Amino acid sequence: MMSQQIKQEEVAQFALDEAKRLGCNDVSVLCAKSNDSQVRFANNDITLVNNVRNITLEVYLSKGKKRIVGSSFNPTEDGIKRFLGNLVRSCEALPVSEDYVPLPVGPFRYKSHANFDPNVEDAPLVELVRQAIDEAGRAGALRASGSLNTEVTDLFMITSASAQGADKQTQILLNIRAFADDNSSGQGLSCASYVNEFHPDRAGRKAGEYAKKSLGSKLVNEGKYDIVFSPTVVSNILPVASSASAFAIESGNSFLVDKLGNKVAVDKLGVEDQGVYDRGLGGRVFDDEGMPTGTNEIVLHGSFLTMLHNSSTAKKFGKEKSTGNAGIIFPRPATIVFNEGDVSLDEMIRETGDGLFVTNNWYTRFQNMQSGDYSTVPRDAAFRIEDGELGQPVAGFRLSDSIPRQLLNIEMISNEREWIKWWEVSTPTLAPYMMIKDVGVTRAVGS
Amino acid sequence: MVSLDFDLVSYAVDLAGQNHCEYSEARIQRTTDVTCFTRNGESEPAAISDAEGIGVRVISDGALAFGATNIVSKESVKSLVDRLVRNAKLAAEFTREKIHFSDEESHREKWEVQEKKKLEDVSVQSLISFLKELDSLLSPPISGITFPNRNLIIWTNIEEKYYENSDGSKLESRVPRVEYLGILTAFYEGRPKTISIPPGYSGLGGTGGWEVIEKFNLNEELPRQLMEITNGIKASKAPPKDETLDIILGPNVAGLTSHESCGHPGEADRILGREGAQAGESFLKPDKLGMQIGSEEAYVSDDPTIPNSMGYYLYDDEGVKARKRKLISGGRFTEFLQNRASASFFHVKSNGSSRAMQFDREPIIRMGNTFIEPGDWKFDEMLKETKKGVYIKNFMEWNIDDKRLNQRYVGLESYLIENGELKDAIKDPVLEITTPKYWGSIDARADDLQYTCGTCGKGDPMQGAPVFFGAPHIRLRNVRVGAR
Repeated sequence: MMSQQIKQEEVAQFALDEAKRLGCNDVSVLCAKSNDSQVRFANNDITLVNNVRNITLEVYLSKGKKRIVGSSFNPTEDGIKRFLGNLVRSCEALPVSEDYVPLPVGPFRYKSHANFDPNVEDAPLVELVRQAIDEAGRAGALRASGSLNTEVTDLFMITSASAQGADKQTQILLNIRAFADDNSSGQGLSCASYVNEFHPDRAGRKAGEYAKKSLGSKLVNEGKYDIVFSPTVVSNILPVASSASAFAIESGNSFLVDKLGNKVAVDKLGVEDQGVYDRGLGGRVFDDEGMPTGTNEIVLHGSFLTMLHNSSTAKKFGKEKSTGNAGIIFPRPATIVFNEGDVSLDEMIRETGDGLFVTNNWYTRFQNMQSGDYSTVPRDAAFRIEDGELGQPVAGFRLSDSIPRQLLNIEMISNEREWIKWWEVSTPTLAPYMMIKDVGVTRAVGS
Repeated sequence: MVSLDFDLVSYAVDLAGQNHCEYSEARIQRTTDVTCFTRNGESEPAAISDAEGIGVRVISDGALAFGATNIVSKESVKSLVDRLVRNAKLAAEFTREKIHFSDEESHREKWEVQEKKKLEDVSVQSLISFLKELDSLLSPPISGITFPNRNLIIWTNIEEKYYENSDGSKLESRVPRVEYLGILTAFYEGRPKTISIPPGYSGLGGTGGWEVIEKFNLNEELPRQLMEITNGIKASKAPPKDETLDIILGPNVAGLTSHESCGHPGEADRILGREGAQAGESFLKPDKLGMQIGSEEAYVSDDPTIPNSMGYYLYDDEGVKARKRKLISGGRFTEFLQNRASASFFHVKSNGSSRAMQFDREPIIRMGNTFIEPGDWKFDEMLKETKKGVYIKNFMEWNIDDKRLNQRYVGLESYLIENGELKDAIKDPVLEITTPKYWGSIDARADDLQYTCGTCGKGDPMQGAPVFFGAPHIRLRNVRVGAR
């Protein structure tokens, strides 16, 4: 196992056998081989080419109902023995876990694989970056910054409860920010698992167009506004799926505490977690306990229907089994899918009449995670909506609101959706545009 | 513990030289993390992570390439260096502004943070017992307030590195870190409120052994802090609405402002646009060094060399010796945080601000320990000389725009000030203010500098850097307070 041709199956099996030899009752081993490439650029120039190749192990152990997790970057036999020896010694010293549940018993049948395109690994990143920068320039930008990333992940999973599977996925992700001047910028994203669904030119053009349109921005007055949010913002400011994690709820750090079965949003809202969305972005066919992933309707017709579980949290909340969302400690969504609505973006803007259009945001922080009180800062292009059309570009404001209030004030959902994954949105999300009524807007004092 | 393979690092630098790279560096790094946490006094599975590998960076034909692998063999490193050289040459064809590094002195040094009580000797069992004891002290109700959700975390981290570059630097280091964090939900009269102790989702800790945690005496300190915060939890009185008055900020809030609205905008890579699409740019431009941004009372520094600080280092990840940087002096921006690439652009020397958090992350410009310099006021004097104002002792919610001009902090424990005395506790006062207005409004700094720990997010891929935020009590004159 010392050569570069490390076979994940052998590594994972070796780790499983070694852990069992050390007396562990439950063992799950995930061996991941990753090849991540990146081209970063700023001011129309490439600033870095990056390539990281790792083979890593994620291990969960229980011994006498004591539980521990570990990760190691040393896949050699000696390295695994040392790592597991330390892990088991630490596990033995822990108190018995009240939350212990045996691993789900396999074997399981999994989907053949997640979204995988062998062409991603050899994609001509520098050339694709040039396309994006050139398009941004043609659309009116003076300069552009961003990064193009490809991720090729090859997983092998084996558990002491007879679950075993392999999974491959690819992602190709562009985030381009174009500037028409220092105060006027626009963002474009292209996020795909397949090269032929990846469109750096469109992302560059969109970023450039937004940048040009946002020249001459003005401040807005504080108050309540009807706001049209882009899919990028929707993915960030409506954290329904992550808040549905049983861990977040049990910790008190979710606005969905005590809301299961209750109405939490307008009828037209639906949010799903999907293990693998066909021809979507990334995904996993099994979770960290070896359970097959599937579709979980988190919010349907505005009601909170499904909490996301691993085996341990499922038991705690009186469920028969996990929802296939382990994280050994934190259940988590694999792919987040907002349902589509029935209006186009143009119609949404027209019907909003008077309001704001926010294309991007960052730095979302909570004053109170259980009440959902938060604020976030719009960035890049934003506009007044005046008489049903995009009007004056605006800047320098902040959204200050509450998630539960927003969910109950969604007025329109678009019939077009986009895949989102970038710096502020780490889980692949398929999101529409949304218009939310009466969103709080504040701004700073001072020049 | 198996020792790091120094020869492999030399081999990588030599290989890059043989490939005619203008510059190269390699770093073999092992990072061992142990995280334990309890929820309501029950332990969750402990998590142990052991990350080791080699990261290499080269400049070839004026283009920069970074790469890493955890397969620490000659064969793997050769393949890595070959790939980097190819990547750099490919990028060079599309790079107009060639990348150069500033000339810097080379160093050969071995440095480490001493531990009186070694972290690797602290068992997970004792870490969990420690948290359980803390939890038992934080769980009892206090005057009608209950704490049904208590999430306590203790994290230890040991970072070992060996670094070489083509200038001849050879640096070996070992830094142990330890940090405590706690997030609770408080209930009062049926209303939930998220709080953290310390507030602002920050932590208590530093570099060194277990003695770092012991010196905080958390068994007494955390209940004391919780008791004080209850005033903020119970507060129902609204803050003055849109009034212009004086605000005294506690070290917990003011410390973060030094990081967010001075340290970040003063990072030269942001000023040059390199982080434009992620962490953002800066309201400062390259020609703004010396710009008057604040009052004569505004003094902010960053110093990675503070012993036992969370952001402690003696040499950065480009082989440059660390030193204190005076970022704002008398209201003027006097120094930007520089790495070797930005220093070359500015025609200065690097001030040692380049940090990489894992073997497989590129070094980028980071803060170490950023703080508002203490003054000579006493808090009591400051209070006594404030006729009408608000005291925001600590906070929870905060954010700032990506040019670092428009920031907001929402108080947790806060009070009205009338005629030099603290009066009623107020609920969620909001300080939402531009950066020039903020630094321009400081008229007094107390002598009670305090630090808390934080993790600063920057980079793509994201790198969380352990840092200190520090400040004494400060006073802002004639600013607006808002409400949530």
